[in-house]
Amino acid sequence: MNTLEITGLKVHFPGRGGAPVRAVDGVSLSIAPGETLGLVGESGCGKSTVSNATVGLLSPTEGSVKVLGTELAGASRETLRAIRAKAQMVFQDPVTSLNPRMTIGEAVGEPLLVRGLARGAALREQVGALLEEVGLRADHASRYPHQFSGGQRQRIVIARALALRPALLVCDEPVSALDVSVRAQILNLLVELQARHGMSTLFVSHDLAVVRHVCDRVAVMYLGRIVELAPRDELYSEPRHPYTKALLAAVPEPDPVTQRAKPRVPLEGEIPSPANPPPGCRFHTRCPLAIDRCRVEEPAWRPVGAAMVACHLV
Amino acid sequence: MSDAPALVVENLSLAIGPAGLVDGVGFQVAPGEVMAIVGESGCGKSVTAQAIMRLLPDAIRQTGGRILLGGRDISAIPERAMRAVRGQLMSMIFQEPQAALDPLTTVGSQIAEALRQPLGRVRGEVLRMLRDVGISDPERRIDQHPFELSGGMCQRIMIASALISRPAVLIADEPTTALDVTIQAQILDLLRRLAIERQTAVVLITHDMGVVADIADRVAVMYAGRIAEAGPTAEIFAAPRHPYTALLLASIPRLSDVPKSKLAVIEGRVPSPSEYGPGCRFASRCPRADARCAAETPPLRPLGDGRLTACFHAEAMA
Ligand SMILES: Nc1ncnc2c1ncn2[C@@H]1O[C@H](COP(=O)(O)OP(=O)(O)O)[C@@H](O)[C@H]1O
Ligand SMILES: Nc1ncnc2c1ncn2[C@@H]1O[C@H](COP(=O)(O)OP(=O)(O)O)[C@@H](O)[C@H]1O
Ligand code: SF4
Ligand SMILES: [Mg+2]
Ligand SMILES: [Mg+2]
Repeated sequence: MNTLEITGLKVHFPGRGGAPVRAVDGVSLSIAPGETLGLVGESGCGKSTVSNATVGLLSPTEGSVKVLGTELAGASRETLRAIRAKAQMVFQDPVTSLNPRMTIGEAVGEPLLVRGLARGAALREQVGALLEEVGLRADHASRYPHQFSGGQRQRIVIARALALRPALLVCDEPVSALDVSVRAQILNLLVELQARHGMSTLFVSHDLAVVRHVCDRVAVMYLGRIVELAPRDELYSEPRHPYTKALLAAVPEPDPVTQRAKPRVPLEGEIPSPANPPPGCRFHTRCPLAIDRCRVEEPAWRPVGAAMVACHLV
Repeated sequence: MSDAPALVVENLSLAIGPAGLVDGVGFQVAPGEVMAIVGESGCGKSVTAQAIMRLLPDAIRQTGGRILLGGRDISAIPERAMRAVRGQLMSMIFQEPQAALDPLTTVGSQIAEALRQPLGRVRGEVLRMLRDVGISDPERRIDQHPFELSGGMCQRIMIASALISRPAVLIADEPTTALDVTIQAQILDLLRRLAIERQTAVVLITHDMGVVADIADRVAVMYAGRIAEAGPTAEIFAAPRHPYTALLLASIPRLSDVPKSKLAVIEGRVPSPSEYGPGCRFASRCPRADARCAAETPPLRPLGDGRLTACFHAEAMA
């Protein structure tokens, strides 16, 4: 059984001008046990909305989200509570993710205490072990978040997310707020934890190099839809969708020789509003290859080699 | 590219109260050249830019150094004269273009303001500039307000307004940090083209080594208020000689590395100005540090290949 199975997910928000904001508009993906799936795309394409729906923080407008076989759409409070123990979230901003008035020991131990899984000396011991697991010290438990740097705070957030030994970890831009040197520490930690615990991970990022570094398969999102989903090496060595190609060409690589030799794939214009997505292929307004058919007919989501792609010209 | 530098920053030092923020920073930028200042947050990039523009917040003092614009020392000229320098000889753009633009004034009037003219008198020139920065449909955009435009378009407007008076120097503080990668690529291409066409000297401030690799002719790597290493971009990336530069480059995940392999890590964290001590400021995190590093400040010295490095062990890094 897949740890996560999302089918035909739509999440719409009420829009200002009447038309709903189609933040997520027909997304399907699955994550196998122990697998890390990357979700990449530019801001506003719907990545955080998918993450929030995955841990039950948002309910689907349409479609299905199953964690370990249990349906979240329309689930009761008790079911959602049980699922949240299995699917834990790590957010981008380690500063706002922690209550400034709680010691980090209280923060990390809270999920265990609230669910009656440990207290007293046993709780302290488990908290100490969790802190050590993320590279902090057990005696840090009595300190407050402000006494830690951004990178250490993200470690604390990760320790808290691990407390219930979740089957699925959802990381929404977990290193985007961190400086380069600290980012490497957290990426190393995440890779190490994956290997040790074998949990499934949904790893959301706008950074294609970071996603390549930690993921097994990668989904590329554009305007509420997935345009391509493929095994990592396949996606990076042989991108098929014109948007995937453009994104990869736009990543500035920290090597002047490679970077300056790289062909540009210029994208026209800007990302349209999800309240009013273009007809046909949603990417056609910016696509360098678009033909008349792209402007009227939606491309089917179909397998091409080891990849799934939605483009008429692939 | 002419040889006389458009901008020279000499030995710039800045302090807040007793704490030094920036210590002896110096560099030159030639016409048409893009020089990047790169470093992690808090290392002093933005205050350096503000000092060059003479726009430092009241709390921060310049405690030493000179700033030469076209050979003229502007560090002590009166504010009235400085106002003429800003916008005419030297302009600045920022990370958040929407915040820097006036929401109530049309795009065209804001660009005309940089020429100190009413829009009616310079409309043709403003339209040409809008076209030059890649704004499609400039006849319509010229009368729109910033909130009607995307972040990428607002950054193009900022660039138009910064460059229309043909300043010799453009300071760009994280101009693409708030933008998506596909838009960032467009803006970097634009900056490079304009620098060459207009022979503008560009100081590009960024925390992103990828941006440096893409656009900078030369780069200065800053750490904790000082320049750790500076020189031609190609040389610095190919063979970093300061341990900080080397570790920083090795800690970035690349499209060419082995997925899930261990990234190089710089232990600990960046010190804050109140923690700056004697010696090399990187010493407490540096794998090569010895007793001398902790006690003495390594001078920024030439290594003979056009680069300057502030490390006692730079030769051993080769
Ligand atoms: N609560 C909300 N109400 C209305 N619109 C929203 C809400 N949350 C997100 N959106 C919109 O949905 C789209 C997708 O947002 P998001 O999932 O945050 O994208 P990403 O994480 O990829 O940047 C955006 O256009 C965003 O403005
Ligand atoms: N207005 C200010 N008041 C007090 N301290 C400041 C101010 N601006 C910057 N600093 C301090 O100066 C140092 C350098 O800041 P800054 O130049 O903004 O760094 P960077 O742009 O490299 O991230 C930091 O320690 C910062 O906290
Ligand atoms: S379907 Fe057409 S418009 Fe869409 S990505 Fe493919 S070629 Fe471009
Ligand atoms: Mg998001
Ligand atoms: Mg700054």
